Amino acid sequence: MRADAMTALGALRGRVGVNLPAGLTRHLGLLAVLLLVGLITAWNSSAFLTGANLLNVSQQVAVTAVLAAGLTLVMTSGGIDFSLGSVAAVTAGVVARLIASGTGEWTAALAGLAVGAAIGFGNGAVVTVFRVAPFVATLATSTVLGGAALLIIDGQSVSIGDHLDELGFGEVLGVVPATVVVAALVCMATGLVMRWTAFGRNAFAIGGNENAARLAGIPVARTKLLLYTVGGLLAGLGGVMLVARLGAASPGTGGLQLELTAVAAVVIGGTALHGGSGTVAGTVLGVVLLGVVANSLNLLQVDAHFQDVAVGGVLLVAAVTNHLRGRFR
Amino acid sequence: MSGPAAPPVLELRGVYKTFGGAHALSDVDFALSAGEVHAVVGMNGAGKSTLVETMCGAIVPDRGAVHISGRRHTALTPRRARASGVSIVHQKRSLVPGLTIAENLLLGRLPTRFGAVSWREARREAARALGELGIEIAVDRVAAALGPAEQTLVEIAREVHRGRRILILDEPTASLGAADAQRIHRLVRSLRARGAGVVYISHDLDEVLDLADRITVLRDGKRVVTVPAADADLPALVRAMAGDGLRKKIHDAVRAAGEPVLELGGLTAGWLRGFDLAVRAGEITAVLGPSGDGQAELFPLLSGLRRAESGRVRIAGRDVPSGDVGAALAAGMRCVTGDRLGHGLVPGLGVDENLDLVRRGLRRPWLVRWSRMRGHGRDARDRYGIKAIHADPPVAALSGGNQQKVLLAAWLDTGVTACLLEEPTCGVDVAAKADVQRLVGGLAASGAAVLLASSDVDEVAGLADRVVVVRGGRTVADRPVAQVTCDELVALTAGGRTP
Repeated sequence: MRADAMTALGALRGRVGVNLPAGLTRHLGLLAVLLLVGLITAWNSSAFLTGANLLNVSQQVAVTAVLAAGLTLVMTSGGIDFSLGSVAAVTAGVVARLIASGTGEWTAALAGLAVGAAIGFGNGAVVTVFRVAPFVATLATSTVLGGAALLIIDGQSVSIGDHLDELGFGEVLGVVPATVVVAALVCMATGLVMRWTAFGRNAFAIGGNENAARLAGIPVARTKLLLYTVGGLLAGLGGVMLVARLGAASPGTGGLQLELTAVAAVVIGGTALHGGSGTVAGTVLGVVLLGVVANSLNLLQVDAHFQDVAVGGVLLVAAVTNHLRGRFR
Repeated sequence: MSGPAAPPVLELRGVYKTFGGAHALSDVDFALSAGEVHAVVGMNGAGKSTLVETMCGAIVPDRGAVHISGRRHTALTPRRARASGVSIVHQKRSLVPGLTIAENLLLGRLPTRFGAVSWREARREAARALGELGIEIAVDRVAAALGPAEQTLVEIAREVHRGRRILILDEPTASLGAADAQRIHRLVRSLRARGAGVVYISHDLDEVLDLADRITVLRDGKRVVTVPAADADLPALVRAMAGDGLRKKIHDAVRAAGEPVLELGGLTAGWLRGFDLAVRAGEITAVLGPSGDGQAELFPLLSGLRRAESGRVRIAGRDVPSGDVGAALAAGMRCVTGDRLGHGLVPGLGVDENLDLVRRGLRRPWLVRWSRMRGHGRDARDRYGIKAIHADPPVAALSGGNQQKVLLAAWLDTGVTACLLEEPTCGVDVAAKADVQRLVGGLAASGAAVLLASSDVDEVAGLADRVVVVRGGRTVADRPVAQVTCDELVALTAGGRTP
């Protein structure tokens, strides 16, 4: 009798807050904020809702989206990677150098991806083998790589001419920029991995309860290693996209700014910092929201320095909202 | 030493407390005089913790009142209890590990001069506080470097230094060796000599008989008896704790035990020293012993979380490599933790996915098939009686009993050859408890070798075929349960040193 009552209570609790279709309730608030910002901007600036502007925004967020997708995977497993922006910078430098020295453009791009994956693997090894806290380990590699990126390009801009044009300026079906297509494919693939592969579900289990996952025979170390490798690989892809779009690797490409935007987008998207929950859909919404806010401040001719203030503000509000939602459900 | 005749400094009168229909305490009286050590004993779930939590204000009783130094408190809070001089020292030690003993002793009240901490005075004051109680520990040592006994000593000294006159010690000697326990006993005696009142909770009945002035025995939330320790002996205490009901409960269903399936040979790691054990197919063997004497090491060793220093584990005639979770699982070993949310389940994920966790760890597939997982989940829920109205709630939203069933279903639904169950009915209501025990019985009937680590005597008596007692890392007794009387069983589980 009492057991029944308890079960009913448990189920009721489940029904009230925790288990509505995750994709829907979870991101309604974020979607509303995005629409609100869009409406306000469109009201005040006729340039916002034009095709050219929206394509511009989507191109600007494409690189962030690719990095943030990888970061979502890592953060779902309870880890974090602060070096993704610097990995992108290093990759961009390596690709530009290789192309400038006469290597084939796609060979150079592949080498860039390999460099990214290798750095990610290194991060994963430090975290799993030496049990260094991911925050510290990747902050250290981030600093190292930030310097390395400048060393690789010798502190100067290295041009790639019109190489990698198809990626940087190509258009699919005549309208959609190639970088946006790549970003969309990456995000969709990440979403599928997180839902339908044992690897993706293991990331959730490890983030939700690493002890239980280990006892259940889930290969915790191997999964983490692979997660950081995938994160690095996607950051490498981001670097290739960056250099293709900018036509050169310059000091200040990628780096900390890109990294922090990606972290902010993932957190705004509702991925728990302690792991165990997260969606790519949320991350994409977070990336788009940050892109739209930046664009809107541009169009409304707000002082550029306010943009950082705005990004930080959005992040803070999102983090507080996530905390409150966790507490009151 | 003022005897029990002196007016009580702490008194409970007619205290009732109910948790969700179960009587944790009913009509319990308790009195503690200054300069008295009053021990409280009872089996698991007898109400000891509820009683002491009531004394220190963490639990407000449904009826009855707490009197401290003659003053009646109807709404006692932990803060008011401390202000009235009542303090509890928990079994789980609470010193700040990175600070020195002096800082820990004077936590929040470091002496200052002109706003800066006066370290010289702090050390002097701390040394004096320890010296008065006859504790010899250097005050500038870091708390983390102390042994468990020394940490308890410092914690008690801290409470005394803060002026508490009524101390509740919750199993201060659990998991301590004899020499360390002696140090605690000396301190308790010196507290008594200084006129403090001590409520002493312990599972070690010999210790209680030796140390206490009076002993109160609880059973099923009721006070059975309060006797001067001088008038009590071990058999009488055990009888009072166990009551008569237990005697009949030893199960009579005889399972036919088969070949040895789980064999441990000369296992050495942590507290275990050359531990031998063989469990046969279809046999439930209970492992008992005072906590900290080695039986708790079995879980990390058998599950593969930790590598043994030496010795071997054989399952169904094959050696299982030590320290390899995957190998242990593949050999058919299932270790079900007693800490379901800490080590067993992923609270944020749904029931079906949790039920699939071990299967995924065993088979290591590439893809997840949700429809098949849901099918397995539905099936397992039916068979294990996991009740949830909602389709697939997160495990965190289930009741404790249902969580425990999910845990057992996840671990025991995949080709079990041998298993270790830690406290399988911990924190579970009566109905679910019966379900879980039926499951464990069925597991053995289907030919698995079952190791049961439980501190619930009812459960051991009702389920086990054989009882193994571990002490000092070795097996000291190994007998069929039919040859063990219930009194002995209580004494063994409770940790009395003369079974």
